[in-house]
Amino acid sequence: MDKPRIGMYICWCGNNIAKMVDVEALAEEMASLPNVVVSKNYKYMCSDPGQDLIMKDIKEANLNRVVVAACSPRIHEMTFRKALQNAGLNPYLFQMANIREHVSWVHTDRAEATRKARALIRAAVTRVNHHIPLIERAVTIHPATLIIGGGISGINAALDIADAGKKVYLVEKSAELGGLASHVVEFYPYFDKGDAVIRPLIDRVEKHENIELFLETEVKDISGYVGNFETAITPKGGNEVKFSFGNIIVAVGLKPWDPSPLENYGYGRFPDIITSWEFDDWLAAGNLSKKNGKLPKNIAIIHCVGSRNSKYHEYCSRICCMVAIKYANQLRSALPDANIYELYADIRAISKGCEELYAATSRKRVMFIMFDQEHDLPEIIKADASDSCDMIIRVKDTRIRKRVEVPADMVILMVSMEARQSAKEVSHTVGVSLDKNHFFIEKHPKLDPVATTTNGVYIVGSCQGPKDLPDCVSQGRAAAARVLGSISRGTAHVEVTTAYINPALCSACRMCLDICPYTAISFDESRKVSGVNEVLCQGCGTCVALCRTKAINIQGCSNDQLMAELKALLLSDAG
Amino acid sequence: MERVDANLINEVNKLGKGGWNECFHCGTCTATCALTDEGLIFPRLSYNYLQMGLKDSLASSVEPWLCYYCGNCSEKCPRDANPAETMMILRRYLTSVYDWTGLSRKFYTSHWWELIAVLVIGLSMVLLLGVFNPNGIVTELNSEGGVKINEMFPVHWVHIGDWIMAAAIGGLLISNVIRMWYLVIYKDKTVRVPISAYFTSFKAVSEAAVYFATQKRFSKCDDKKYWAAHWVLMSGYVSLFTMIVLFLPWFQTERIHAWYHPQRLLGYYATFALFYGLFFFLIGRIRKQREIFKHSHLTDWFFVVMLFLTTLSGILLHIFRINGMPSEAYYSYIIHIAVLVPMLVIEVPFSKWAHLAYRPLAKYFSELKKSAPRQMSTHG
Repeated sequence: MDKPRIGMYICWCGNNIAKMVDVEALAEEMASLPNVVVSKNYKYMCSDPGQDLIMKDIKEANLNRVVVAACSPRIHEMTFRKALQNAGLNPYLFQMANIREHVSWVHTDRAEATRKARALIRAAVTRVNHHIPLIERAVTIHPATLIIGGGISGINAALDIADAGKKVYLVEKSAELGGLASHVVEFYPYFDKGDAVIRPLIDRVEKHENIELFLETEVKDISGYVGNFETAITPKGGNEVKFSFGNIIVAVGLKPWDPSPLENYGYGRFPDIITSWEFDDWLAAGNLSKKNGKLPKNIAIIHCVGSRNSKYHEYCSRICCMVAIKYANQLRSALPDANIYELYADIRAISKGCEELYAATSRKRVMFIMFDQEHDLPEIIKADASDSCDMIIRVKDTRIRKRVEVPADMVILMVSMEARQSAKEVSHTVGVSLDKNHFFIEKHPKLDPVATTTNGVYIVGSCQGPKDLPDCVSQGRAAAARVLGSISRGTAHVEVTTAYINPALCSACRMCLDICPYTAISFDESRKVSGVNEVLCQGCGTCVALCRTKAINIQGCSNDQLMAELKALLLSDAG
Repeated sequence: MERVDANLINEVNKLGKGGWNECFHCGTCTATCALTDEGLIFPRLSYNYLQMGLKDSLASSVEPWLCYYCGNCSEKCPRDANPAETMMILRRYLTSVYDWTGLSRKFYTSHWWELIAVLVIGLSMVLLLGVFNPNGIVTELNSEGGVKINEMFPVHWVHIGDWIMAAAIGGLLISNVIRMWYLVIYKDKTVRVPISAYFTSFKAVSEAAVYFATQKRFSKCDDKKYWAAHWVLMSGYVSLFTMIVLFLPWFQTERIHAWYHPQRLLGYYATFALFYGLFFFLIGRIRKQREIFKHSHLTDWFFVVMLFLTTLSGILLHIFRINGMPSEAYYSYIIHIAVLVPMLVIEVPFSKWAHLAYRPLAKYFSELKKSAPRQMSTHG
C-alpha cells in the first residue's frame, strides 16, 4: 500500500455545526497533521458540490484516504463511501467523525465544543492511516427453504413460499400439523370455528406439490451459511434424507404451563379445576358437566395463572385475557343461567375487535373481580356442606381492598404459556440466541421482527414470545416474503467487517469456538489452528476480546485502527 | 368475609336503567367529581359493590347520598356507564333497603302499587272531607266577603288530622332512619363508634344541620343553578309544611289579612318558590338537555306532578276564598288535601323525599365513622 495521502473535510451543516464549532480554524489546524494532503471546510459536504469536491481532490491530489467530519455515520457514511467508489477509491478507506450529534447539537460553549471536535477529528484522521481496502462479497441463495415447526405460523410461511413456486421442507416434531391453534374450538373475537380456520390450511399443506412434509421428525444438525445450508434428517420409520436450502424459518411455538406448583389453586386436588386448554377440549367434546355429572351453577375463570408473577413467569402470556373473555361468552351461550366470574389482574384487550368483545361481555352478566397477581393470589377452598356451591374462592379485590368469597362449582385456570424444552436445542442448531425466558431473539424488536442476527434464519410466531393467531399468521407470511425476496435476488451480501485469525499467532486453545454466537469458527485439525467462516461471522468482536494471543482481528476494525484512534483521542489536547 | 352475589344486579335493575354493566373501572367518574373525598370515594366504589353484588357493603355505604347529580361523571364516562344516574338508582335502592315495611320497594318497582296507594289515600281524604263532612258547603260569606272556610273545615279538626299525619310520616321515617343507622354504623364491624361520639362530635352535628338547612354540598357542584333552584323549592316547601302542620290556626283563617300581612307574604313567597322550583325541574325533565334531567323514573314524574297539583289547587283555594266563591273553595280544598296527603305519606317515608333525612344523616354518620377508631378488619 502506498504512503497514506489523506483528504480531510469539515462540514458546516449550514449553521448546525458552524455556529458551535470553529470549522475554519480546525480545517487550517488539521492540515498540519501527518499525511494530510488536503484539509478543507464546506457548507454542505453531503450535497452534490460537496461530494464533487472530494472526488475532484481524490483525482487531482491523488488522495488515498478520506475523512469527513460532519453528522452521524448512520446518516451519510454510505453517501461518502459511494463518492470514494465513484472516484475509483475503495470505499472502506474512509472514516467519519460525528461533530454534529455528538458536538454542536449537544454543547453550548463554543470553545469547549471546538476542543471536543478537534479531538474527534484527530482521532478519525489518525485511524484512517491504518485503514485497508475491503472487498464486498456475495453468496448465491439456494431456492429451497427449511421450516421447523408445523403450527399456524410455519404452515402460513410454507404455503406462501410454496405458492410462489419454491420448494419447502416442512419438519414437524409431532404427528399432526396445526399446533396449539388446532385445539381451539372458536377463535376470539369473532368466534370463527377453529376447524373452519385451520383445517383447510392443513389440507393444502398436505397436498401441496412444493411442500415436502416430515411429521414426527426433528432437525438435529444444520451446516452451512446463508444461501447454502445443509441438513440430514431421519423421518420416522424412514431412511436418512439429505437436502440443501438457502433459508431457515423457525416456528417451534410454545406450550401451556402446568399450574400444579401454584398450590393455592388446587389444580389436581379438586375435581372440577381445569386449565384453559383442557376447557377447550371439554368444549370440543360438548360436555360441560362436572365430574359428578351435574352442570355447574357457578363458574370462575382465573386469569394470569403463572403469568406476570416474578416466581413463575414475569411476562404476560398475551392471549389469556381474551381467551377467558371468549370462554365467558361460550359459557353464557351454553349455560344461560350460570353465574360467571372473571377473576383478573388487568384486562389486556389489545387486538382489533377485542375491546369491543370485552365491553359486550360485561353486558352478559359476567362479574369481574380484580386481584393482585404478584402479591395476593386467590385461594380455592372446599365449600361447607351448607353452601350451595362446591368450592369457595377467597380473593382480595384490589379496587375495593376487601376480601370477598366467590362461590364456584367449576374453575378454569388461564395458564401461562412458556417456551418448549426443545427451544434451546433448536437455537443451537440454527445459531440464534434465546432470551432469559427461552424465547428466540429477533434482530430488532420493532424494525426487524422476523429476522435474526444470523443471516438466512428467520423466527416466526410464538417461539419468540406468546402471540395470538393473527400475529402468528402475519409473522409467518412476513418471513415468507423475506425468504422469497432473498431467493428472487439470488445472492446475499456478506458482512465485510468480519474476524480473521492470524494462524501464526493462534495457540489452538479453541476458546473462541465456544464463545462465537454464530458458530462461525471451526478448528482445522490438520493445521492445528482455528479459522473463521466469513459468511457466518457477523463481526461482533467477541472472539477478538477473548483471544489471549491477539491472533484475532476484525477487518476494518482492527486492534491497530482502534488503538490509533483511541490514542489520538486521549492525547488530543497534548498536541 | 362477604360473599359476592351475582343476583344483586337483577334486583337493582328493577329500580332504573343504570349502566353498571358498562363500567370497567377507569376511575374517570371519581376523578371528575367535585364532591368525592378521601375515604368516601364515589361513584367508582359504589360501582364495585354493585357489580360484585356486595349487599352488606352497599347497604352500609353512605356515598350515594353524598352525590348531588351534577352529571360530570356521566358526561366524561368513556363507556357511557352513566355513573350519575347509577348513584340516583342506588339512592332508590338504599331507600328501599332502609325501609323495613317493604312498601318503598313496591312503590319504586310497581306503577300499580304507587297509583293504587295514591288513589286509596286520596279517596279516603275525599270521603273524610267531602262525604262524611257534617258541615258541607257554607254559602254564607263573612263580613269581608270571604268564604267561611273554618265553618266548612273546622281548623281544630283539620289540625288534629295534620298531627296524626305528621306523626305517621315522622314515625315511619324515624324507624327507617334507625335502620339506616343499624346498616351504616352498627353492622359495619370495621369501625366502632362510641356512644359518646354522637353527642361530643359537635362538628359532625353542626355540619349535618347546616347541610340540612342549606344543602351546602350541592353548591360545590360546578353549576350552581341546580343548587339554587333546589334550595328555593325546598324553602317554599318547608315554609308551607311548617305553617300547615305546626301553625294551621294561624294559616287557615277566614279573615282576609292585608296583602302585607306575614301570613299572606309568607304564603305568596312559598307559592312562588314552589312554582319556580317546579318549573325549573319540570322543564328540565321535559327538555332532557342536562345529565340530571336525562333520566326520569316514574317516581320523579309522580313527585313533580303531585307537587304541581297541590300548588295549583292551593292557589285556586286562596283565590276562591278571598273572592267569596264558597262552593269552588269547598271543592278545591278537598282536591288540595286529596293530593297533598298521599304525596306526603308516600314520598316522605318511602320515596324521593326521604332524602331530606338521609342526606344530612349520611354526612353525619360518615363524619362519625371517620373520627371513630378502626377495628381489626378485613381491610388490608
